[in-house]
Amino acid sequence: MQTRIISLLVEDHPGVLTRMSGMFTMRGINIMSLTVSPCEKDGLSRMTVAIKGTESELEKVRKQISNLIEVVKVVDLMQEEPIIRDLSLLKVHVKDSKARSEVMQLAESYSAKIVDATLDSVTLELTEEPKRIDRFVDLMKHFGLKQLFRTGITAIGTASGTDK
Amino acid sequence: MPKVKLSGAEIVVEELKDEGAEVAFGIPGGVLLDLYDTLYKDDALRHILMRHEQCAAHAADGYARVSGKTGVCIATSGPGATNLVTGLANASMDSAPVVALTGQVVTSAIGTNAFQEASTFTITMPVTKHNFLVTRTKDLPKVIHNAFYVANTGRKGVVLIDLPKDVLAGKATVNLHPKETFAGYKPNIKPNLVQTKKAAEVLANAERPLILAGGGIISAEATEELRHLVELLGTGVVTTLMGKGAISEHHPFCLGMAGMHGHLCANKAINECDALLALGTRFSDRLTGWLLDQFAPDATMIHVDIDAAEINKNMPVDIPIVGDVKLALSDMIKWLEKKKKLGDKSVWLQRIKEMHSACEECIHDVRREGTSISDSVIKEISLILDGDAIVTTEVGQCQMFAAHYYMTREPRTFISSGGLGTMGFGFPAAIGAKVAAPDKKVVDIAGDGSFLMTCQDLATCVENDIPVVVCILDNRYLGMVRQWQELFYDKAYAHTGLGLTPDFVKLAEAFGCYGERVEKPEDLKDAFNNAFESGKPSVIDVIVGKDDKILPMIPPGGGVIGMIGTERCKHV
Repeated sequence: MQTRIISLLVEDHPGVLTRMSGMFTMRGINIMSLTVSPCEKDGLSRMTVAIKGTESELEKVRKQISNLIEVVKVVDLMQEEPIIRDLSLLKVHVKDSKARSEVMQLAESYSAKIVDATLDSVTLELTEEPKRIDRFVDLMKHFGLKQLFRTGITAIGTASGTDK
Repeated sequence: MPKVKLSGAEIVVEELKDEGAEVAFGIPGGVLLDLYDTLYKDDALRHILMRHEQCAAHAADGYARVSGKTGVCIATSGPGATNLVTGLANASMDSAPVVALTGQVVTSAIGTNAFQEASTFTITMPVTKHNFLVTRTKDLPKVIHNAFYVANTGRKGVVLIDLPKDVLAGKATVNLHPKETFAGYKPNIKPNLVQTKKAAEVLANAERPLILAGGGIISAEATEELRHLVELLGTGVVTTLMGKGAISEHHPFCLGMAGMHGHLCANKAINECDALLALGTRFSDRLTGWLLDQFAPDATMIHVDIDAAEINKNMPVDIPIVGDVKLALSDMIKWLEKKKKLGDKSVWLQRIKEMHSACEECIHDVRREGTSISDSVIKEISLILDGDAIVTTEVGQCQMFAAHYYMTREPRTFISSGGLGTMGFGFPAAIGAKVAAPDKKVVDIAGDGSFLMTCQDLATCVENDIPVVVCILDNRYLGMVRQWQELFYDKAYAHTGLGLTPDFVKLAEAFGCYGERVEKPEDLKDAFNNAFESGKPSVIDVIVGKDDKILPMIPPGGGVIGMIGTERCKHV
């Protein structure tokens, strides 16, 4: 099993997301993360899909995605030395001032921003590679993680600089 | 082209005509009143009123498979659209070009559970190649043009257009007949020359090459190229169910259909070949059986398909070729013609020819020892029609008897529900076939179980003068499931008995059709003559045995060798 990140340019029509997710369901593939956003071209959207599977399963899915009429371009980002980012928001419980200062120190060492604080909690924002966020989340669990929100992966290729 | 102000319904009809549509199979409804009002006032497009939407979709499907043109069906919102779904799934599975138009409630009511509302757009997404929900009248020209373009290019398929009532009733100023299309839709047409050359080299050097022809050959109009290649190489050819008609089954190099209910010799050839050229087929499980290691184990596998997603999907291949099979064949033929000397295949060809003769002899031996009445019935029909007809089939034993014994000569003359296996398909498909080819005899080889699922459309045939012949293999059972119960479930016939089925002769007469019962296969010839001469839609009810089995077959879990029930096939 491996993770693959596929970047898609799709026509910005109603139903495109349903069509995309339905295709994954039909082919028995579980989506780890899916993000949709506007892109540099009018009328098109960019989707970043992370899926897990064997090499041959992932290859089959890539071809089925290419077959969708509204998909303009499919890029396998793993071939493009990608920069991968995930945005996370964490509400961490701080039971006393000692815990608070430890949380803030750790946040600083991870370059996480403090975006809110209450008497018994600190809310942090961290935009990073998913694996680094995983580690930070594990650390925060020691203090008591009240809530965790993650946006899912977005990624950009560096190999050619622009879309091929 | 200057801009014109038209209603949505008028735009739909104008664009349908521009796309070459000549006939639509459909049923009106509340939200389609504007469209039907326009159709009614325009003679250029023939509308055939069906009696069930499923039949409208199957008729459009049958029309498309016989004519090669895009079939058109129409259904109203809600139940009309949901009734279409089976027919759309069927056409999708077999890559038949169909455009479906469905009515929808007014855009402001979408999502309110309005009367006769169903989310046709989301329901039909998995059973179409593409679909549209049109929300603005001015979008109609582009949508309809693209629907036809997508349906009948690349790997052909179904496109559905959902049309809200206000979009049809509203007016817009538009440019008709636009040509722009989707930026991302580029149906891959030209095969890679390096790959086709590699494939041709393998075929040239092989001692025992075999060609496996699928429905893609027929869809791509590549039957002439196929025959040319088969004769140029001097080697055998087998077909899938969908490939029946890709080459004449009387051709001495043809071993007929392979697969679960195929000819033993065709399956043996697959097992023995040292190079397999698979053309326009998706290696369905009904072709390969379950043991893929028995499927051409010693062969270099070459797979040509227009859909890249089919390559390595079901069958790992050595030489993949993505593109139009007609072009791929032409490339290979050109290369082979240049080559002075091909590897010696004479021993193999001799074996192929011997197997072909033995098989043809068996089919002409109408009452062969150890075979059933059903076998005899289809052999008799094959002799009576002699390939000069369009045969459609229902699904189950009748279908496999037909696929096994009915000798097809021409492409687009054997129409069957391959992928979805839809009981009730054959009769409405025959209606579409007859509309596409009114001068041809059209015969639906049916079972009593299947025919009862769509027989109400006898009314359509009578009303519209569509004289198709339905020939029922009547055993009062759901025969194929019963066969499996007999062979693999200790003869526990759970709910496969149909009991007192209707008197099909009287049923036919009640609709105003010709009906005749046949108790002995030898009386079939007269019955067919009577049916054809009546000029009416006809039902021939042939009494067959409940224990009749379609054999040989690949048993569940088996592969292309190890068919059971091969006692009758002494020739291979």
